[in-house]
Amino acid sequence: MAGGFVESLNLKKTCAEYRVGLWQCPQFLFLVMGAVIISAIMVTYIVASRYEEPEIASLVVLVLAAILFAIGNLIVRAFEQVALSSRSKSEFISIMSHQLRSPLSAVKWQVNFLLSDAQRKTPDAASMQKYLQTVYDQNERMIRSVNDLLEVNRIEDNDLVLRPTLFSIEDITKKIAGEYKSFAAASNVNIEVAVTGLAPTIYADEERIKYVMEHLMDNAVRYSSMGGKVSISIAVEGGKLVWKIIDQGAGIPPKDQKRIFEKFFRSDQALRYQTEGSGVGLFIVKSIIKKSGGEVGFTSSLGQGSMFWFQLPIKNNV
Amino acid sequence: MKKILFVEDEEALQRAMGDMLERAGYTVLKALDGEAGLAMAKKEIPDLILLDLVLPKKNGFEFLEEIKKDASAKNIPVIVLTNLEGSAEVERALSLGATTYLVKANYKLDELLGKIEIILGHHAK
Repeated sequence: MAGGFVESLNLKKTCAEYRVGLWQCPQFLFLVMGAVIISAIMVTYIVASRYEEPEIASLVVLVLAAILFAIGNLIVRAFEQVALSSRSKSEFISIMSHQLRSPLSAVKWQVNFLLSDAQRKTPDAASMQKYLQTVYDQNERMIRSVNDLLEVNRIEDNDLVLRPTLFSIEDITKKIAGEYKSFAAASNVNIEVAVTGLAPTIYADEERIKYVMEHLMDNAVRYSSMGGKVSISIAVEGGKLVWKIIDQGAGIPPKDQKRIFEKFFRSDQALRYQTEGSGVGLFIVKSIIKKSGGEVGFTSSLGQGSMFWFQLPIKNNV
Repeated sequence: MKKILFVEDEEALQRAMGDMLERAGYTVLKALDGEAGLAMAKKEIPDLILLDLVLPKKNGFEFLEEIKKDASAKNIPVIVLTNLEGSAEVERALSLGATTYLVKANYKLDELLGKIEIILGHHAK
């Protein structure tokens, strides 16, 4: 008895480790099915021994078979869930490793070249600097990829813990816009920031909100390959902070609009413009904003541009 | 001097590979997307093409499909140089006529140079 009890506790633990409820947990369902089979046979035996009519016994068997069928179905679904999550994990690994391999091979080739250059009598100082800068940039890219990977993992494990602090959304927006200026100028894009009224100080996870803004700004610039304007506006509407970014870029095809916040989703359209990226950015953006008690959304028309926005509650009386 | 076309959207890779090839005495043509690469291949008829698969505008598979339809460019050897390694991608690239399929991260520049020389030597015969 004690052994069975301990085992049943373990079962609960096992299912918790799989992060599924009991009725989606294969081990538990298997146990239930076993119990149903045993009781079915017992009940059939008792019924058959008490009643003369074989119809009653077969009716009981029929009902129990139906229950078994239903449980069997649940088990298959549970396995499906497991298979699906394992597929999504392996998809994740394959995307992320490609994502890491690109900067890794770039660094490899740069260092390769630097080493062969160092062996020459007259190493070229100017090209050396370019190569070293590339090594640095690619290393930064790897750090960002790994950070994204960890963040996605935290979100999936429901383990995203925010570290709120007071900060000025206006200052940070302007700071990021400043940092993106030269990147934007390279594609003939001009970034403007407009603030309506007095932008409030908000209480939120500054680093993560910064990630959200950087990501939205990065997208706006990246998909404006023909140049144009990116306008950011900050306002307070209905007691909430509203941050908007409008671009005149490629826009999102209607068929892809439903899916852009999905993990790993990258529209074919996006790939035509920008091959770098793993398709987790907007997934992270949405998770951060939701966790912060806000909302995020967009409108877009193909060939004319997109408008992404998020709103956050203003809690500045901390 | 032999001409090599490198179709690659990552400038860091373009530069390292390009400088290395130039030092080895090749003329290097560079294209940052599939469309520009295809136009350049048809116009310049290089001796060899290094082709990335994930490319803007036209990806490497589309590039292969189209270049094999071009009478004067279809015999140029194409080395697929990518970081994708799925069996589906390898099979597809080879069946579309890629001469060989190499994974960037697994090769040093001088090793690639060796591969290029072997393939060029073979095709010259």
